[in-house]
Amino acid sequence: MEAETQAHDDDKPAAHGNGDDHGDAGETSTDGGDTELHGLLAEFETPGALIAAARKVKNAGYTEFDCYSPFPVHGIDDAMGIKRTKLPLVVFGGGLAGLCGGLLLQWWMNAYNWPWNVSGKPTWSLPANIPIAYETTILLSVLTTFFGMWAANKLPQVWHPFFRLDRFAKVTDDGMFIGIEASDQRFELEQTKQLLVAAGATHVEECHTDARPEARSVPRAIYGVMIVLTVAALIPFALAFKARASKSSDPHWHVFSDMDFQPKAKSDQPFAEFADGRANRGEIVGTIARGNLRADDAYYRGLRDGQWITELPAAFKVDADKLNRGQERYNVYCAPCHGFDGAGHGIVPERVALRGGAWEARNLVSSDSVVIKMPNGQLFNTISNGFNTMMGYAAQVPVDDRWAILLYVRALQRGQNATQAELPAGAQVR
Amino acid sequence: MASASEAHADDHGHGAENARETFRGITHDVTKVNLTPIGRWWYPAFGISLLLLGMLVVAVTHLFRTGIGIWGNNNIQGWAWDITNFVFWVGIGHAGTLISAVLYLFRQDWRTSINRSAEAMTIFAVACAGIFPILHTGRPWFAWWMIPHPNDMGMWPQFRSPLMWDVFAISTYATTSILFWYMGMVPDLATLRDKSKDKVRQVVYGLLSLGWRGSARQWHRYERAYLILAALSTPLVLSVHSVVSFDFATSQNPGWHTTILPPYFVAGAIFSGFAMVMTLMLPLRHVLGLKHIITQDHIHAMCKVTVATGTIVGGAYAIELFTAWYSGNLYEWFTFRNRILGPYAWAYFIMVSCNVIAPQFFWVKKFRSNLVFVWILCAFINVGMWFERFVIIVSSLARQALPGAWGYFEPTKWDFMTLAGSFGLFGTLFLLFVRFAPVVAMAEVKAVSPAAHAGKDDH
Amino acid sequence: MSATKKLHPDEKIKADKVGGTLFKAGLGAGAVLLGISIALGAGKGDHWRHFLHAYLTAWSFVFSICIGSLFFVIIHHLAKAKWGIVLRRQAEFITGALPAVALLGLVFLVPVLLGNENLYYWSVKQLHDKQHPFFHHMHHKMGWLDPVFFAGRYAFYFGVFIYMSTWFRKQSQAQDTDGDAGRSEKMRYWSGFAVLVYSLTTVFAVMDLFMTLQPLWFSTIYAVNYFSGAMLATYCTLGLMSMAIQRSGRLTHSITVEHYHDVGKYMFGWTFFWIYTAFSQFMLQWYGNMPEETVFYSYRMFGGWQIVSIIVLVGHWAFPYVSLVTRWSKRILPILAFLAAWQLVFHYIDLYWNVMPNQTWETAGGWIRGPLQGDPELHKVNFHFMDVTLLLGLIGLWLAAVGKSMKGNLVPVNDPKLGECLAFENY
Repeated sequence: MEAETQAHDDDKPAAHGNGDDHGDAGETSTDGGDTELHGLLAEFETPGALIAAARKVKNAGYTEFDCYSPFPVHGIDDAMGIKRTKLPLVVFGGGLAGLCGGLLLQWWMNAYNWPWNVSGKPTWSLPANIPIAYETTILLSVLTTFFGMWAANKLPQVWHPFFRLDRFAKVTDDGMFIGIEASDQRFELEQTKQLLVAAGATHVEECHTDARPEARSVPRAIYGVMIVLTVAALIPFALAFKARASKSSDPHWHVFSDMDFQPKAKSDQPFAEFADGRANRGEIVGTIARGNLRADDAYYRGLRDGQWITELPAAFKVDADKLNRGQERYNVYCAPCHGFDGAGHGIVPERVALRGGAWEARNLVSSDSVVIKMPNGQLFNTISNGFNTMMGYAAQVPVDDRWAILLYVRALQRGQNATQAELPAGAQVR
Repeated sequence: MASASEAHADDHGHGAENARETFRGITHDVTKVNLTPIGRWWYPAFGISLLLLGMLVVAVTHLFRTGIGIWGNNNIQGWAWDITNFVFWVGIGHAGTLISAVLYLFRQDWRTSINRSAEAMTIFAVACAGIFPILHTGRPWFAWWMIPHPNDMGMWPQFRSPLMWDVFAISTYATTSILFWYMGMVPDLATLRDKSKDKVRQVVYGLLSLGWRGSARQWHRYERAYLILAALSTPLVLSVHSVVSFDFATSQNPGWHTTILPPYFVAGAIFSGFAMVMTLMLPLRHVLGLKHIITQDHIHAMCKVTVATGTIVGGAYAIELFTAWYSGNLYEWFTFRNRILGPYAWAYFIMVSCNVIAPQFFWVKKFRSNLVFVWILCAFINVGMWFERFVIIVSSLARQALPGAWGYFEPTKWDFMTLAGSFGLFGTLFLLFVRFAPVVAMAEVKAVSPAAHAGKDDH
Repeated sequence: MSATKKLHPDEKIKADKVGGTLFKAGLGAGAVLLGISIALGAGKGDHWRHFLHAYLTAWSFVFSICIGSLFFVIIHHLAKAKWGIVLRRQAEFITGALPAVALLGLVFLVPVLLGNENLYYWSVKQLHDKQHPFFHHMHHKMGWLDPVFFAGRYAFYFGVFIYMSTWFRKQSQAQDTDGDAGRSEKMRYWSGFAVLVYSLTTVFAVMDLFMTLQPLWFSTIYAVNYFSGAMLATYCTLGLMSMAIQRSGRLTHSITVEHYHDVGKYMFGWTFFWIYTAFSQFMLQWYGNMPEETVFYSYRMFGGWQIVSIIVLVGHWAFPYVSLVTRWSKRILPILAFLAAWQLVFHYIDLYWNVMPNQTWETAGGWIRGPLQGDPELHKVNFHFMDVTLLLGLIGLWLAAVGKSMKGNLVPVNDPKLGECLAFENY
């Protein structure tokens, strides 16, 4: 290469057009007497010269050297003998982890831990899980590539001995350099220098580092700032923990209104927009809401022509299911006062008695009870609307269930007042 | 390609100094944008952007306090401008990834002049896009429920929903774009570090450049990682807009449910993105003095990609229309007739004329060379692509299967403010980028310039 | 700027006898195998139903490679691509088989015109009857699916394909003799328009020839999916063809491992694009769950066809996709050749999966009974020995046609960018 012809081992700055050259560092960096040789830095003119020189340095047996350039020079890898990076393999692993992780995440969350039924579709249906698995594959591959590359390059490392040389600033502009470290086994100052010159360097420079320990340690102030910042970053978390651990009677902050305060009228509240000043709107005169006609007097009210009915209404079909339903509902709603057998010994009167009070629930089954003589319609009405201290159950118990309860009460009455003769053979009380 | 000195670069006699001059020229021209006081144009531009951004803040604050009822959306028009804006902005972003990744894989060296700013555009466009789906959820402060995390409700996200796919696709895309962008920028940040004169810049750029020193061993891994990221971004960019299209296409809504939607959305995204790149780049190369780096050849190339993708989009319109007829599906065919003849016909014709007809001018070199004309056409394409999403979303929802639920969407002033505000966010971020980050990938431009081969033997 | 290289002085670039040998061998083998197939078809006794379907599948295989090669040529000019110039002439030779492919198509086109409805169900006369269960869904497009109009469109599609491919081939070969660099510029100039015409023609040709086999089913991405499979097959064919030519001692210096590496990359890329389009179609119809669409998959997702579906998924995508990721699988030629051949086989299986179920969908219940009603017996794969003989026979005839057009130089020697292509290197 022609670069060899113009190589001189001097500190004459290479001819530059734009005058931003700082090539006055001389051969050695001399700040502080106590220095240590880091290595040699040689400058080359063209990418081609750099490649040729790198090959020579490699062939001379050096291993602790590197080329520096403002852009990737193609052909340098081969000249320096750089082995292909294993990064793709690592990325493949990352991608595989992303794929498996993405599938596992979806399966565990949607199909295993909380099997979530969405319009009857299978909780684990692969086609619908592919897009997310695909994205997680790419995401993990990308993260592996990015962080893997920096880790393999041992970056960030904001300081490097060569940065001490002003000339090295050109490496991000137009400069091509070869740096040979003094730690290389073959490194011998003069010989190495000769090699670089022979390889076509236009400028060769020694790089020294400050050997004093204090010059190599991080300034105290930086530690201080880091500690302060770390502590400051913890403050919000500390406040959050304090708030969780302590009690307060103050209303909580409404950072987001969260629809807590909505401009709407709630039932039984005043509302100025309507003439009567009430939020509630009654039924419109002359109309009945759908399903509220209830024309069947016997079924809904236990009446026929203004008289209590004595039979069961036609709309109520009696069967074993109804009776069981009646028992179940009776045990829920009636037994607390009237007792499971209907004799009025429920848990409520008992507890009142325990506290020294006196309150009795009516005995529904004794042969002299008024209830036993009551027409069905009247008993239904009592269940629905209440009597004396008993409240009406129309609000809680649907019509059909009320008839079912009545049916069960009648069964209790029949059972409690049965005679020996009426019992089946073998079941008589002896 | 990038420098005036390229004619001499192969000449061995003067090659060395000419090559170095080329490199210095690139460094100087690009770093001067950041290291010398910015032109006067920047301040009014930034002011207007900040003003629009303020409008976004006002609109969003009002939305947080009141709810999405402030928009024109209602029970029938569940989606309107919010999702239109979302798809519009995500689409814009795709050109950046296409330029930085896909063209890299296809060895299109001309990309190096524009990829940095296009990538920045991607990130800012994705940022703008990201706010809309969050806002449209109604109670945006619970948006973090979409991130799968153990919680005291014992509930997990519903991964079989396309809207969840969106969350993953968009966040992966944003992450990848940022990392790719930043990684590409590190060598150039190192250049800024070395060129800065004042301490603050030196420290900030120094920290951001991670101590990059251009070592060949580092370049080797760096280039491999760059290639891998490009190879990963390509299927990613394809998937992102496909997933966005799934939001529509997995439904049974006529006009939404069609199988060509994924590639058609991707093509449309690239189309709109390239138009946006040119909308930004044409004035930028002028005010930043980068005309010799972002050259007329780059504009030719971008115009060609625009006409290609625009024509693909036009073809997809045609296939959709044909298949709607061919299918014999009454509702499908009605929807398409309604697009053309119904109450939103005006939007349909804006869409067709801006997206299919306007780019056809780019076939002709004379039109491509007239930059004012190119800029105006690109602005039309931006409008047209916004209307494409509007037509798809709004006209389909306004005429669903139940005629009793037919309606007509009318935006409110808050809709306008949110849309205009998103441009403010984009403009603010982009102008900050122009001022403080290297707008051209210097290392890459140098690497593909003829000067990069100076002094090499012919092998 | 890139490095350039001159053609190696000892390079054998003439096709010489290759074309003639190929023509004779292909024609002989093809004619014999086609004869066997016809005999098998005549013996089957289902009114040629199986024969026609198998024939269309095999025809589709060679057709896809022809139109893929045409796209390869056009896009090369459009993108000013350099890496594949050494392969371009071979693609041009392949497009030379288009007239023959058009003629071979008459085997299923003429029966349609004569009213044989065993292949295309829409040619049944009864469809015009209002009582027919499909009348409601079909009557509006009976004009489009009219046998004569269909044949007219067929002629138009092939007219366009043949005209474009001939023009590009003639220009390219003329450049060999007169060395006029302006021809490259001219081809580049027209390639933009050509790609436009090509896309529309291809989309409609594919929809007409293959999608109408199930005349009630529709998918807007269908043609794109077919096209991506065709491109994949084209790159595989070009790779294998180059290796065969190099084996004969020609082009040994010009086509290097770098070019094969790129062929491998494109194989990888189109494999990805194929699964992307296939998945888009499947996912959207599966998720949308509308009966008129899912019938396509419900027939293929159960019984015997389910196994074929899985084979296609694994064989046409998963295995080759993973295999092609690495750099060495694209640079070690025996491996690349294996993968290319593998993908060609699975391209055929994919086409088989697309076409052959239509042979039985009507009897299997199809639209009337609705999906999943039929028992697995009805989802049976009706494989017959003539499927193989037809495929090999048509490949033979197609190779004969390719051989017929294989004249003159095997590379465009005067292409202005050839030097850069020869020196091409991946980095």
